[in-house]
Amino acid sequence: MAIIASRGRHRPFQWNDALKHGVTVLICLALLFPLFLMLIMSVKDKEQIVYEFFAIRPPFHFENYTVAFGYIAPLISNSMVLAVGSTLLTVSVTALAGYAFGRLEFPLKNLLFGILFAKMMLPGIMNLIPSFTLAWKLGILDTPLPVILFCAGTSQPFWVFVMRTFVAQQPRELFESMRIDGASEFQNFRYLAVPLLRPMIALMSINVFVFVWNDYIWPLVTIQSFEKRPLTVGLAYLTQANPGDYGMLTAGYVIAALPLLVLFFISMRQFIEGLTAGSIKL
Amino acid sequence: MAAPRAASRRRRRPLDQLLLGLAFVAPALLLNLVFDWYPMFDGIYRSFYRWDGYNTAVWVGLGNFERLLNDSVFRTALWNMAFFLVAAIVLMLPTIVASVVLFRIRHQRTQFVYRVLFCIPMVVPWLVIMLMWQFMYNPQYGLFNRLIEALGMPDLQQTWLGDSELVKWCLVFMGFPFVTTNAALIYLGGLKSVSESVWEAAALDGVGPVQKLLYLELPLIAGQFKLNLIGTITAAMTGYGTQLILTKGGPGFASMVPGLYMYLSAFKSQKYGYAAAIGLTLFLMSLVITLLSMKFFKDAEET
Repeated sequence: MAIIASRGRHRPFQWNDALKHGVTVLICLALLFPLFLMLIMSVKDKEQIVYEFFAIRPPFHFENYTVAFGYIAPLISNSMVLAVGSTLLTVSVTALAGYAFGRLEFPLKNLLFGILFAKMMLPGIMNLIPSFTLAWKLGILDTPLPVILFCAGTSQPFWVFVMRTFVAQQPRELFESMRIDGASEFQNFRYLAVPLLRPMIALMSINVFVFVWNDYIWPLVTIQSFEKRPLTVGLAYLTQANPGDYGMLTAGYVIAALPLLVLFFISMRQFIEGLTAGSIKL
Repeated sequence: MAAPRAASRRRRRPLDQLLLGLAFVAPALLLNLVFDWYPMFDGIYRSFYRWDGYNTAVWVGLGNFERLLNDSVFRTALWNMAFFLVAAIVLMLPTIVASVVLFRIRHQRTQFVYRVLFCIPMVVPWLVIMLMWQFMYNPQYGLFNRLIEALGMPDLQQTWLGDSELVKWCLVFMGFPFVTTNAALIYLGGLKSVSESVWEAAALDGVGPVQKLLYLELPLIAGQFKLNLIGTITAAMTGYGTQLILTKGGPGFASMVPGLYMYLSAFKSQKYGYAAAIGLTLFLMSLVITLLSMKFFKDAEET
């Protein structure tokens, strides 16, 4: 590394480098363009969108945001309930199961793990309709429960798998010594495994949260009352109900995007490193 | 559990062990059995019935599947699915190129900044990006027709998503620039899995950029590629969120895909049994294609 770095400092302009950065910058620009367009449109009124689409000049209509916020705020709090509920339930059952599969010995362990693991490998497409009828029979339609329970039921096998691997990698002596001191398995889990698993739990929480936050089809079919709808369903409805009012709509999109962006910048390093590192053992 | 000393572990009776293990795994397992496994079997069972959701279900044997074979909408949907599948597989390439280029930027701080920028579209709700594209395609207010107008060629203006010839291409183009953040980061993980010294040695030996690609970088991400390919195939065969939001399968059936047809059969036409049959067919098809592609890779590795 030292050799390359020192050589790099003295070397003249290289087409090679320019190309690499050029390609990457272009990709970033293209990836971010819809968001850029969204910001510009969000301060225009209807006339400006029709007559000066490309211009960025005052008057800026920040009142778009006030109007949009009135629509979006209740949707955000609905989504928050769904996402936080799903994350809490999914993470807790996953951590318990991952610990047991990674650390404990008990009869039928491999069979039980196999049941979880096998479903993970199967496509989930045919679940939608029978899941809907199940939620219907249980009488939980139009509540947050279908989203929370089905999220915990379907998304955890993968994470149980990840946690199991992680727990199994920890040195056995650590757990043995606690046991010799008279700790029960639950104490072992609570005071040893959970702190050890913290980075995994953080990564998993972010993923489950983002998944539920972005989910569209399942809440669309299970939550019918307009005032209970989450952000995604509400945004699609708002767009249909206000054709052409793109200033207000794009302002709404910006507001809708903010909570996750904030979460992302808080947890950025964990998020990116986790995604990059998670796949190494393939 | 109360028995002292480590030796007790060996003496713990199998039943106690089982109960202890179950106490930990039961919540996860129960949720999985009730909300994931049960619906799957229920779906298989329902696909042999005709059921409108209210009246008693009527056993029709393979009737739903026979109807499916002769259903011209389903056939159109299958062709469209094939189109989207091929497009999705071909368009995996830009992500690979982007990840390799990103990886070759050796300055760690710069690379991190690029990675953050790559991540931003992923944390903006997918639906927002989708709705922005809908706006760009809008014939009256949207970007594309405005751009064409500004270039002084108003004859070339299109109805985009409303044009049955163009709609499929429009839906594919929505992925532009076809770099999937998640996949790119997974590839980066693969590239970073060997020690720095390998890259230093390659640089010292004067390995050219093309050789580096063929003999080092591509083999390193082969495993990740397999994983992404299976994900891409499953998503392209069974996904329909985009069509549901933007086109409802239209105009006509020009952008209809089997997943959306399943959705509409159940929730718009109340044909739950028929929808379950479509679901089962789709499930089996994507399973078979996934297994075939895995086997193909395995054979390719062995020869």
